[in-house]
Amino acid sequence: MKKVFDVVIVGGGIVGCAVAWYFSHFDLEILLLEKESDVCCGVSKANTGIIHSRSYWTPSTLKGELHLRSLVLFPQAEKELNLHSPQTGALTVALIREEMTFLKVLKERGNISGAEIIGPKESIEIEPSLNPRIFACYYDPETRIISPFALNLALAEFAALNGVHFILDEEVTGFESMGNRIRILGRNDWYLGKRVINCAGLYATKLARLSNDAVSAHRFFRGQYFVLDRECAPLIRHVLYPVPTEESKGILVSPTPEGNILVGPNFEPVDEEDTATTFWGLKEVEEGARKLIPFLPLEQTITTFSGLRPTLPERDFRIFFSSSLPGLLHLCGIESPGLTASLGIAEYVGEKLKDSGITLREKRISPRTAFPVFRNCGFEERERLIAENPDWGKIICRCEEVTLAEVKHALSSPIPASTLDGLKRRVRVMAGRCQGGFCGMYLPTIMMQELDCDVKEVFKSTRGSFYLLGKIEDVVKENAPTC
Amino acid sequence: MPRHVEAQVVVIGGGPAGMAAALSSFENGAEPVFLLERGKYLGGILNQCIHPGFGLHYFGEELTGPEYAEQFIERLKKTRVEVFLDTTVLEITKDRVVRAVNPAGVWEFRAENVVLSMGCRERTRGMLRIPGHRPAGIFTAGLAQYLVNIEGYLPGKEIVILGSGDIGLIMARRLTLEGACVKAVVEIKDSLSGLLRNYVQCLLDFDIPLLLSHTVTNILGKDRVEGVVVNKVNTHGQIIPEGEQFIGCDTLLLSVGLIPENDLSKKAGIPLCPFTGGPFVDEYFACDLEGFFACGNVAAVFDLVDYVTMVSTMVGGKIGSPSLDRKPPRHMLVPASGVSQVIPQRIREGKEGFLFIRSQHAFRDAVLSLSLEGREFQAMRIPLCYPSEMVKVNLQDIQWPSEKGEVQISIRGKRIHGVG
Ligand SMILES: Cc1cc2nc3c(=O)[nH]c(=O)nc-3n(C[C@H](O)[C@H](O)[C@H](O)COP(=O)(O)OP(=O)(O)OC[C@H]3O[C@@H](n4cnc5c(N)ncnc54)[C@H](O)[C@@H]3O)c2cc1C
Ligand SMILES: Cc1cc2nc3c(=O)[nH]c(=O)nc-3n(C[C@H](O)[C@H](O)[C@H](O)COP(=O)(O)OP(=O)(O)OC[C@H]3O[C@@H](n4cnc5c(N)ncnc54)[C@H](O)[C@@H]3O)c2cc1C
Repeated sequence: MKKVFDVVIVGGGIVGCAVAWYFSHFDLEILLLEKESDVCCGVSKANTGIIHSRSYWTPSTLKGELHLRSLVLFPQAEKELNLHSPQTGALTVALIREEMTFLKVLKERGNISGAEIIGPKESIEIEPSLNPRIFACYYDPETRIISPFALNLALAEFAALNGVHFILDEEVTGFESMGNRIRILGRNDWYLGKRVINCAGLYATKLARLSNDAVSAHRFFRGQYFVLDRECAPLIRHVLYPVPTEESKGILVSPTPEGNILVGPNFEPVDEEDTATTFWGLKEVEEGARKLIPFLPLEQTITTFSGLRPTLPERDFRIFFSSSLPGLLHLCGIESPGLTASLGIAEYVGEKLKDSGITLREKRISPRTAFPVFRNCGFEERERLIAENPDWGKIICRCEEVTLAEVKHALSSPIPASTLDGLKRRVRVMAGRCQGGFCGMYLPTIMMQELDCDVKEVFKSTRGSFYLLGKIEDVVKENAPTC
Repeated sequence: MPRHVEAQVVVIGGGPAGMAAALSSFENGAEPVFLLERGKYLGGILNQCIHPGFGLHYFGEELTGPEYAEQFIERLKKTRVEVFLDTTVLEITKDRVVRAVNPAGVWEFRAENVVLSMGCRERTRGMLRIPGHRPAGIFTAGLAQYLVNIEGYLPGKEIVILGSGDIGLIMARRLTLEGACVKAVVEIKDSLSGLLRNYVQCLLDFDIPLLLSHTVTNILGKDRVEGVVVNKVNTHGQIIPEGEQFIGCDTLLLSVGLIPENDLSKKAGIPLCPFTGGPFVDEYFACDLEGFFACGNVAAVFDLVDYVTMVSTMVGGKIGSPSLDRKPPRHMLVPASGVSQVIPQRIREGKEGFLFIRSQHAFRDAVLSLSLEGREFQAMRIPLCYPSEMVKVNLQDIQWPSEKGEVQISIRGKRIHGVG
């Protein structure tokens, strides 16, 4: 007999994991299916990581409504998730007088105490690297930043700790009706659910169309970024927004909780899955950012990346039950501010399911404890950790000061890392200024030992992304020289 | 509680620079001397350089990297220098507190003298801003060298190498010998970055094409590298869009330069030279901040380990020596036309030690010129010079003028294009 789950979630991005987090507070059998070998592999891994304030909500939209709801939920959630989102505040920069109207709109829309419109002089006082030739700024003390990896993982770990089953490497390929159940077809197996929530991010409209639901296909808009060295951190104190364009919030300069600076994103239509960076895209980002910070030290770039926004023509979220398969809920068009709105989305999905007859009975939950981060520990704390376990005294990543203990823990945590990128998202190996030049020497061996695998199974991300070809002797035996 | 240790000398980094400095300071009477190394072995980068080419100047014979290192490891064993392996220094303060961790715990050394010898790290793809996908299969050449020579892994089968520095050239040969196919070495400049002898022995002898005035402009492949796009560049280094070519490969190695590893020095507030990327030093390799010395690749990227040993041995001898009173330097040396780096940058007496100069281009029939406030006071002939080989001059061969001031160092001569 197949187990029947009350709720099956498709997709382990921030939204799918927020939904899992939400339902894990109730007495329900929950399953989450994710096609990649890890959570946080889609849109959620490549964005600006800003918790946009109330000034940035979009009235008369679903995304706006869920944005506001989410902001209310964040403080309590951060406690049980053991997460922290630094409140940096933000400056929205009007370069010319004509842009003032928008600053006023923001101020009214947010109605945030302490928010104000300030002139260039005052702006420079609080953000010294700012372009001195701006017209004015809207200062918003509420804006916060968060690591999207940390958020996605904390939500997933909390859910796992509180009983949600995760199956990774399982791509959902379709749905079938089975009486009052839904049969979820995967590449490897099939599953039964009373309710199914399609949180497939970029692929959500594709899945919706598989169940014959009428929704326009996502169009994808790419955003490219620079990541600057931590050394530049003192340069920027606030999230810096330009006045937005029709399509997006524009090219930002923003601090990250880890102390890097993010510069981007631009907005360009692309084909599905094209997350390459381009010469022209990066140039556009550079030019945009220099209007805010003329002397931005882009020579201190440690890496560049890009992410895709899945958009619907109406540029809003669409959350709706399937017309062909009752009990199947689709979440489409979850573009920006999907991260900010994620908790609100989860609560809204909860209400939808309740309305559809699912009983939500609260259960006792265990809060998530955070594992120590060596870099943030004082010397006394470090001494204590090393005394407990000598692996804390072995530095594996010199740039981010990550220890062997942290790497091993990430490989065996509730949602364990199984790839190099998975480790990077959890403990920041390969994420510093040398980009794996140092830890890249040791990580394959550690992974082989801890995961009990062959060197050929050490992957960067997907199953095709092998890090090394193999032992020299074996490779030479298997292959004749290629030239 | 952290372990507190008083030391006369703490040496950070156990490569050739750190080993020589620790040895010679001990042999000249300093004690206790601590040598802190984050790796499992002493030797630094030498351990992964299994090719011969070390020690010709210092030992008068060609050794491999590990053989060269072994000479010093053996000598260290005969001293009371305390070697800490598996020990990473995380912080130094301007008053010479050195904080480190190892599997035994947290350590705090209070040192009279600190020798910085942390070596260098490699430039990455991000710094070059090479656009494209971000698949597996992109390695810096030194990382690949470690994985091949120490761990015995082959990174890929079909390789493109960006940058014609020595590490890239040596890896081209190594990977070919191990059964991989090196499709091309791509160099943005119109001349070779590495040594001519490495070009001959590592590329020519194996028919590996060298594409000068070319660069990688795109990386393809979603999971693993599937190829790179290569374009010609003009004399200003700008990309020429016409005639781009695709080279299929599963691996891209980057041999695009080294950066002295000075994260610790910066945190301690030691002033750094924008040209070398290392601390400003005087002829005794003492930094501007009292009690600190910098030797080896942390001070400037040295191509020859022999020079590293020479300088570091001198530093060890000078530590604690009274001749090192902190008189303000008489001369400040700066690179001028044709020169990219000069080390040392400060001259106090100008009587002993060496001056190392890296030229910007390859020159034939060149003249090395030193001028004070625009007036040339010395000119020396150099038949040939390459950016890949520092020019070494004995300080005592220079007639330093009695006036104080800034000394500009320039090289003029006939430019050599191509591989020379
Ligand atoms: C450039 C950019 C900048 C942004 N900046 C911000 C910001 O600053 N603040 C903010 O609030 N929001 C921001 N956003 C929006 C935010 O990142 C997204 O809305 C959010 O991450 C969406 O999460 P998700 O879970 O819906 O999607 P994803 O993270 O894409 O998750 C979907 C998951 O489903 C899996 N999946 C797909 N198909 C299947 C299948 N068939 N079977 C099983 N699994 C499947 C995928 O592998 C993926 O893991 C930004 C977005 C972009 C692109
Ligand atoms: C690939 C390659 C090939 C070369 N080939 C030749 C050649 O053929 N002939 C030749 O003469 N020269 C060659 N060289 C040059 C020569 O090897 C270098 O000049 C020399 O190794 C520099 O010595 P070093 O001690 O300054 O640095 P390194 O050898 O890099 O040693 C630095 C040491 O410091 C340690 N360290 C760094 N930070 C810390 C910290 N925070 N805490 C503790 N320890 C730390 C490192 O682990 C390392 O062991 C080559 C160099 C390279 C990279």
